[in-house]
Amino acid sequence: MDNFKDKLYQLEVTPPPDMWSKIEASLDDEKVIQLPGIRKRSTFLFYGITAAAAIVILLISGIFFSKDKKIQNVAQVQPVTQKQPLTPVINKDSIVQNQEILESIIKTKKNKNLIAAVTPRKEGGKKEYITIAGAEGQPVRISKKAATLIISADDEYPPKAKWDKQIDEWQQIMLDNTLSPTPTNLMDIMQKAANLE
Amino acid sequence: MNLKSNYIPSESDLIQGCINKDRLMQRQLYDTYSPKMYGVCLRYAGNENDANDILQEGFIKVYKNIGKFRSEGSFEGWIRRIFVNTAIEHYRKKVKMYNVTEAQENTIVDKELTALDTLATKDIMKIVDELSPGYKAVFNMHVIEGYSHKEIADILGITEGTSKSQLARAKGVLRNLIETRINKKNNDSITL
Repeated sequence: MDNFKDKLYQLEVTPPPDMWSKIEASLDDEKVIQLPGIRKRSTFLFYGITAAAAIVILLISGIFFSKDKKIQNVAQVQPVTQKQPLTPVINKDSIVQNQEILESIIKTKKNKNLIAAVTPRKEGGKKEYITIAGAEGQPVRISKKAATLIISADDEYPPKAKWDKQIDEWQQIMLDNTLSPTPTNLMDIMQKAANLE
Repeated sequence: MNLKSNYIPSESDLIQGCINKDRLMQRQLYDTYSPKMYGVCLRYAGNENDANDILQEGFIKVYKNIGKFRSEGSFEGWIRRIFVNTAIEHYRKKVKMYNVTEAQENTIVDKELTALDTLATKDIMKIVDELSPGYKAVFNMHVIEGYSHKEIADILGITEGTSKSQLARAKGVLRNLIETRINKKNNDSITL
């Protein structure tokens, strides 16, 4: 005799006769819901949308990276074009410019004191400096104003009073400065003052 | 594919036919397994109407998911599992689980249920039908189908402890029902 577990496990009961027709009807309903045409269309739509999205992404990324490359190229080229050929040109230009400025100051018939004030600054607000040879031949950068004063001194211009005033100002600056003047620069000043007199 | 009246397709043909949505093969599958599966449905359902609903729903699931069958176990076992799960889903809302203590669980001995062996299947079914849906589900799954308490807990969304306690209570109720039935039978035989 089978035990009750086997009896229940192997229990077989014939289902109602109309059961299959109900199941069949349910299966037909499933087919109606999943029409093959709709399925194909939805599949086509899905792949179409996916492909379109992929193309758009590729285009955008292509544009983005090409821009990025251009910027990189510019960044790579610029230093080369500036550094190599321009360095000597700048030096040459600055020497020529020096000469031109000095000549324009010397030759001008205008009040030489006004030249520096009137001469407009370069774009970017930077002063134009000129380089002259110092007492021992060393290069010294001076402003236009200082150049004007030096040239004027040679031409006995401006008047002595102007120079006195300027030296008084320098002395005052030195007195106000916490740094004590060294014997060397004090002697330079004395020498300069003697020369002027 | 045309089926002759005496043609019995192999299991693999049956499966492939159902994957291809061959209606004749679907019918063949129904004819082969519906009596057994209806038995499963009746064990879990409280009445014939519910059993019919479970049977219909279960076969629709089988046809829909038959492509997922990987031939790792028996095909009948795979189908049976679908029907058990369908029955459980059907009754999930009705089932209420209450924990009992371990002491209660251990007082019930399987030996007392062996009295069921002496009864006819119809009578056993009547006794099992008297269990509440929750007890019946756990009893059927563990004792008849052989699910572990962990599996039952996963399927029913309860803890293993609750599954054990439900089984203990189910066995307790069954013991009382068996005693009552046997006593009644004895009394009837004495009277006769």
